[in-house]
Amino acid sequence: MKIIKDPFDINEIINVLKADGLVIFPTETVYGIGADATNSKAIKKLNRYKQRPPGKPYSIAVSSQKMAEKFAEINSTAKNIYKEFLPGPVTVVSKGKGKLAPGVESETGTLGIRIPDHPLVIKIIEKLGAPITATSANASYKKRPYKIADILNNVSNKQWGLIDLIIDAGELAHNEPSTVIDTTLDDLVVLRQGNIKFKNKNEVLSRGEENTQNIAKELWQKYEEFAGKRAIVYALEGQMGAGKTQFVKGLARAMGIKEEILSPTYDLLLSHQTPAGRPAGLTIGHQLVHIDTWRMVDPTEEIKNLRTKELIDNKSVIAIEWAEKVADVIRSYTDDAIIIWIKIRYGEKENERLISWDVI
Amino acid sequence: MKILAIDTSCDETACAVTAGTKVLSNIVWSQASLHAKFGGVMPSLAQRQHREHIGFVVDQATKISKLKIKNLDAIAVTIGPGLSIALGVGISKAKELAKKYNKPLIPINHVEAHLLSPFANFKFHPFPALGLVLSGGTTQLILIEQIGKYKILAETQDDALGEALDKAARMLGLGYPGGAILEKFAKNSNPKTYPLPVPLIDDKVKNRFSYSGLKTAFIRLVEKEKPLTKQKIYDLAASFQNTAFEHILRVLSYQVNHQSLTINHLLLGGGVANNIEIRNKLRKLCKEKGLKLHIPYSKKLCCDNAAMIGICAYLKTKDLKLNTFTDCSQIDREPRLKLV
Repeated sequence: MKIIKDPFDINEIINVLKADGLVIFPTETVYGIGADATNSKAIKKLNRYKQRPPGKPYSIAVSSQKMAEKFAEINSTAKNIYKEFLPGPVTVVSKGKGKLAPGVESETGTLGIRIPDHPLVIKIIEKLGAPITATSANASYKKRPYKIADILNNVSNKQWGLIDLIIDAGELAHNEPSTVIDTTLDDLVVLRQGNIKFKNKNEVLSRGEENTQNIAKELWQKYEEFAGKRAIVYALEGQMGAGKTQFVKGLARAMGIKEEILSPTYDLLLSHQTPAGRPAGLTIGHQLVHIDTWRMVDPTEEIKNLRTKELIDNKSVIAIEWAEKVADVIRSYTDDAIIIWIKIRYGEKENERLISWDVI
Repeated sequence: MKILAIDTSCDETACAVTAGTKVLSNIVWSQASLHAKFGGVMPSLAQRQHREHIGFVVDQATKISKLKIKNLDAIAVTIGPGLSIALGVGISKAKELAKKYNKPLIPINHVEAHLLSPFANFKFHPFPALGLVLSGGTTQLILIEQIGKYKILAETQDDALGEALDKAARMLGLGYPGGAILEKFAKNSNPKTYPLPVPLIDDKVKNRFSYSGLKTAFIRLVEKEKPLTKQKIYDLAASFQNTAFEHILRVLSYQVNHQSLTINHLLLGGGVANNIEIRNKLRKLCKEKGLKLHIPYSKKLCCDNAAMIGICAYLKTKDLKLNTFTDCSQIDREPRLKLV
């Protein structure tokens, strides 16, 4: 093991990395331990140093977004974050392309990437022509390393022996480790599902929350005669804050439900029983099932896990927020249910919304 | 009193062993997987598939506590509120253990457990007190006259605070975990850059929370400010977070001033309790009002976990005879379970 100080000989560092070596290097956050992320021998050595259980991935440092794109699929959310926050202390998680040494990507194929705001590190990566691991140089679960002594005082002799080169840049500013942003839960699902196209143009203008609730009431009364005979699905599509939950509040009120209707984002599903004195067609205990797919990782699978088929067979009334994420599943119910697709868009004025719908 | 507690109310599969208000082990699946010795595939899609994880977390929790289930006093389990199919997994496991080891089974309300979670490691329990539960699924201000005797002073009418923070992060084009990213980014900025309307500011009697209007105002503001630069994102994050918290503080302040009982303590629980900014704001308010603020001693106790279920079960039953809990046939999931 060798410790080098400024001025650094880049070639010396590159030679160590090329020979499967481990290099401790400074970043704008903490000292990192770098291995050539495309080199399996080097990664195996890093596993021994970090003593971490198999399956825990390493994030990597690249020199540019172009290099990142070689190793991961950088979607539009990720692109914006690269543009504004990198280089800098942000690690962006994307879907990996499986081109790195085994154990770098996570078991699910995701990959954390960052561009350190540190000219020396960028120079090393450019010259090496490959990403290096950007994990912090401490052994797992130990103190954050801001100076070389923080590392060396906390590693065993065995670990010590695995380090090939230390780039000592003195004590670093005590910045927090990078912020990790996972962009893999992006709206790509929606693209796969395709757009719902309406045959008939039914559109009204809502001037506020109360108005939206009344439109819901009208759309309940229109199809009320099918209640108890067939399942009725209100599929709601619309941006954040458009008023999807407001619509369901109106629907519930029209169905005679007194309970407060809350956003089911967290619970995924909330069900409400109709009370005595319910509107015609509904029996006591008939339910309004309120589902929200926003937080679902794999909406198509997760909505099935909520036993939606059973709900359809039981002729329930179902309202689904962020329906576009599960369009295929909803389409598959067309034979067994009345499906009313509702799109809510922002209008020109603060409280205005354009609400359009069609039976699909 | 030693208790094995299980919580599967929503995303996390959790099991813990507690002794009184002391936590002996507290295993949550996501964290359990990190220490797992085996290299099995653990797709993130399976995150909410409790059935596959429940056995593992129970084994880990008992192993780390160094106790045997047969030597414990009771089993406790969350029966609601939560997602029905998820709750079912925890309840059937708890029943299975209660039967196998012939132990009483104590049904617990998940929100009540968050409410009482600051009492972890506490020997005294000061009442009356106010309790704030702020999480992804709950936003409630509660008057606690004594354990089991509660009054809801305010609760959300639409989105929960944690959910609103996650959504705001998303509107800024940030990914997961939204609330935590928002908190980090808000640090680098001026929360006064963008004025946002404090929700329900005109309420004379402040007895409710709401985040739908703020969400709408925020998305309009974000659209107007596009293209977003780094500094804009920082400032927008701070403005949203600040306004969302300001709403909580105003309602809290009003309610503190309008209680007929003398209140000296505020309990804070739920995942948002990990946010440093809201802790600081609440500390300041508590100082002004002469309240003592109690927060769970670890981050893990704020998020969904089972140790809080065990502590809650102990606090609720310490003065009762446990043999009243031997018939577990009546225990079933209650997805819409209310505190009062």
